[in-house]
Amino acid sequence: MATASRHKPPLLLLFAGGGVALLVLVALFAPVIAPYDPLAQSIIARLKGPSAAHWLGTDQFGRDLLSRILHGLRASLAISAAAVAIALAIGGTIGLAAAYYRGWTERILMRLMDILFAFPVMLLAIGIIAMLGPGSGPTAFAIATVYTPIFARLLRGPALVITESDYVSGAKAIGASDFRILFRHVLPNLASVVLVQTSLLLSAAILVEASLSFLGLGTQPPAPSLGTMLSEGRNFLMLSPWSAIFSGFAILLLAFALNLLGDVLRDMLDPRLRGEK
Amino acid sequence: MKRFLNSTAMVLALGLGAAQAQVLQVAVDGSPAGLDPHIVTAFTSFQIVNGTLYEGLTAIDKDLRVTPALAASWNVSPDGKTYTFKLVSGATFHDGKPVEAADVVSSFNRVLSKDIASPNASRLAAMEKAEAPDAGTVVVTMKEASAPFLATLAAIAIVPRGLETNKDALQRQPNGTGPFKFKEWQPNGFIELEKHAGYWNKAKPKLDGVKFNIIPESATRQVGIASGQYAMLPNIDAATALQIKGKPGVNIAETLELAYTLVGMNVSKPPFDNAKVREALNYALNRQEIVQAALFGAGVPGGPLSPALKDWALDTKEFACYQHSPAKAQELLKAAGVATPVTLTLLVLPRQDIRDIAQVVQAQLNKAGFKVELKIPELGQFVQDWRNSNFDAFVSTNAGSPDPDDTFFRTFKTGGSTNVFKYSNADLDKLLDSARAEGNAATRKASYNKVQAMLACEGPISFLTYGQLFTAMRANVTGFDIIANRSLVNLGNTAIQR
Amino acid sequence: MRFLRQRFVDLLVVMFGVSILTFLMIRLIPGDAVAIMLGANTEVTPERIAELRARLGLDQPMLVQYLQWMRDVLAGNLGLSIWTKRPVIEEIAAHMWPTIQLTLLSLALGAGLAVPLGVAMARLRGKGWDAALQVGSVVGLTIPSFWLGIMMILALTAFAPGLQVLGYVPFSEDPAGNLVRLVLPAIALALPILANLARLVRSAMLDALQQDYIRTARAKGVPEGSILFKHALRNALIPFVTSAGIMTGYLLGGAIVVEQVFAIPGLGRLILGAIAERNYPLVQATILVITFTFVLVNFVVDLLYAAIDPRVRL
Repeated sequence: MATASRHKPPLLLLFAGGGVALLVLVALFAPVIAPYDPLAQSIIARLKGPSAAHWLGTDQFGRDLLSRILHGLRASLAISAAAVAIALAIGGTIGLAAAYYRGWTERILMRLMDILFAFPVMLLAIGIIAMLGPGSGPTAFAIATVYTPIFARLLRGPALVITESDYVSGAKAIGASDFRILFRHVLPNLASVVLVQTSLLLSAAILVEASLSFLGLGTQPPAPSLGTMLSEGRNFLMLSPWSAIFSGFAILLLAFALNLLGDVLRDMLDPRLRGEK
Repeated sequence: MKRFLNSTAMVLALGLGAAQAQVLQVAVDGSPAGLDPHIVTAFTSFQIVNGTLYEGLTAIDKDLRVTPALAASWNVSPDGKTYTFKLVSGATFHDGKPVEAADVVSSFNRVLSKDIASPNASRLAAMEKAEAPDAGTVVVTMKEASAPFLATLAAIAIVPRGLETNKDALQRQPNGTGPFKFKEWQPNGFIELEKHAGYWNKAKPKLDGVKFNIIPESATRQVGIASGQYAMLPNIDAATALQIKGKPGVNIAETLELAYTLVGMNVSKPPFDNAKVREALNYALNRQEIVQAALFGAGVPGGPLSPALKDWALDTKEFACYQHSPAKAQELLKAAGVATPVTLTLLVLPRQDIRDIAQVVQAQLNKAGFKVELKIPELGQFVQDWRNSNFDAFVSTNAGSPDPDDTFFRTFKTGGSTNVFKYSNADLDKLLDSARAEGNAATRKASYNKVQAMLACEGPISFLTYGQLFTAMRANVTGFDIIANRSLVNLGNTAIQR
Repeated sequence: MRFLRQRFVDLLVVMFGVSILTFLMIRLIPGDAVAIMLGANTEVTPERIAELRARLGLDQPMLVQYLQWMRDVLAGNLGLSIWTKRPVIEEIAAHMWPTIQLTLLSLALGAGLAVPLGVAMARLRGKGWDAALQVGSVVGLTIPSFWLGIMMILALTAFAPGLQVLGYVPFSEDPAGNLVRLVLPAIALALPILANLARLVRSAMLDALQQDYIRTARAKGVPEGSILFKHALRNALIPFVTSAGIMTGYLLGGAIVVEQVFAIPGLGRLILGAIAERNYPLVQATILVITFTFVLVNFVVDLLYAAIDPRVRL
């Protein structure tokens, strides 16, 4: 850790970590913090800009934008986190197994992954949701499916380099079990890759979720969702752009904080930096 | 920088102006699934082909009156069962062949053909046969008198003979009799029509062509008309019109629409098998608020018939259940003996204005003893669920028609082709049958008054709103009249002033 | 040579898998082409539905449908669009051009600027404004391109309402107008690519600069510039090439949402429309073409991967 602080201003870590923590807290406690019921309509107060009563303004039904964005953050985060966790567990296992066992295991596993990977992300996600019907559950499932091969491929590369390294061959030579080698020797060496990729993909998942909701496939109205708000808000761009501006900005904020945190962590936790001690 | 941008815009604008002098640039939101007027009847196709590429024997004008089109005149026998049409002289198809009575007969047969499976087939159900005694005369014999027949004919496009079983030829290569002929279609890009030089009415068309640019994004269309890139945005909703209103150089025309929004209820299963629950739903709704919220005030609460049909529609004040009263709704639910809150899933047509309406309806119902969940599937799924009556209730929109019979008969008659609600009411069936055959306007009107009263509060449809329909045009576009049925037939009269 | 042949067999296996998955996926979507074709407001009898299904070949068992499709595809026949009856290949070709144009433009913008930017960012490490650069790149990376597109449109209405830079004009009709109208969407698509690639270059460069051999080179007095470009950049190329490959796929997939926002008639909109219409032959063929291109790109990426890093033998 001491080495890390030499390379990275702690300010940035504080900034990114604090930002993510704050957003997660806000998401968790959205029902408590939100000044209004995110579903409460008030036609008289619709499409208004920021004011003392509604800090971020109101949407086309007069619903409070701040309250909807707080709840929307919660939905985005929950869906994306669930999706990435599933993808990491399945894709990571596949990537490691492929790199370690090589041969036919690798060929079969990676070809299966290649088949999924051959589809552009949005295309496969849209197809899966079309099959399952729109909603937050199907969205999480779709994102998990498209990210599984990405994790598998991303981890297989570095895992290959490590499994071919002298000390893993050494461990094999002294008869360590596969399980022990994978989890004691290979996985720790991949920790930084996993952390960085998880943060990157979590951030990307936020964007995919927003795109799907933007196309009307994600979280269903009237439940607040950032992508849906942006999609509805763009219809009123010239009357009152606030809904489109703020919901898009909230998506950016969430994706940005997660991405920056991963970036900073990467510099801190890089195994080669740690190895210097 | 700004000056540079402006001068670039000038150069672009001038360039366009010189190259495409009299081609009207129209921006529409959706890509049609084909251009065969007998097969694809969705609005996206209808507005491109109706009255522009294709014509019927009759047409509907801006006041929704029947006017001559390919038929210059007609006679109706006293019993209302024989129609004799005289075709206009000099009409030709776009490929140059003259329009003859045999083409008209063939077109009717094509619509009725099983191979074509035209959605318009039911409109000709009352027709027994059509004959062509000579090249300029068509005689239609009816099974029974049908008051709405002449209005119906406006929707039956006349195509060249010999296509009775050919589903494919016209989908990609239209060949009609209208003032414009097909030039090019780049899917998802544009559909371009050009002047039909041999059009029978020498005064039309005034334009050299019309180009329908397919622009799905509302904001992009709005910027386009404000900048002058597009000269017309036809058939837009209130939210869009409101945003364009007041932009320099843009005029907006409006009319009350024939299409209506509705909550449709499945009467074959709980909770809406109970007429009291249907009545309660009507009391729970605040139609005025729906108009304000979802249509930005540009519309009216709807009864079973559009107020645009001035001769037929009853004032909604005559329907008791149109008085918004959540308390009365709760009372009725109690009287119906159903457990409250009444939980139901509302299937929603995936279109922005309908999604908006559904959210308002949901909020209103939830305050009056219902617990509503929305389900907004993708269009294909919606159509499937709708067709299979796989819903508690749905929110959607229906195209109205200039004659009351057209919608009522197929929607509410027992076993009617769009009676997805499984509604069956013997008294109503009797009324619909007699009104259809009735030649006397006053008697017919009395029947439809009864029908409206029967349907308004306890029918399978809760009629919500009739919206105002808008068309935005650049100020130099003249001669265009907006029509409540969304037809762009008046493009034939339209010109661009220099 | 044996290696190449093996990779080629793998390629065929993947394409086979893709064809099955595509075929199944579109058929598992509820509501078939007949339902859409009949739409609302029609006179329908079960017999008529059965007739239409038979006409479209939908009454056959799935396996038979698949085999028929495969037989046609292998014979070079991708089928006819259910709706317009045009050969599917024509529809794809018509939509391919705008997407290719947009892809090349965005990729050139993104990748072209990424290398110098990334190298500069790695060089400036430890300096005071390093943090600011990093924050900036992350913003670029995570800015939602469809939001950026909408904000551009908003800015356009506010500052230059007379400017005609939206919509789409075919290149053949108006080359200048065509390019002008692709600028905004290309920027919206390129910004995340630029940030992504630039930060990859930077990360990999930082990594490489820690390696023993670089330190040895430094100790030996090899000039800094030479270390940067000869040694470090070589390492940066692996993730760069991989990511650029992924990005190409993402762009070829149509950047669906951006095409929608800017009304560009590309493959993304073709496929969204085709799914909505349940136009099976068109969806199948379009996905096949997109994925085949993508798989080929990945194949090339893998080869480069092996060529650049001799440690990885595939």
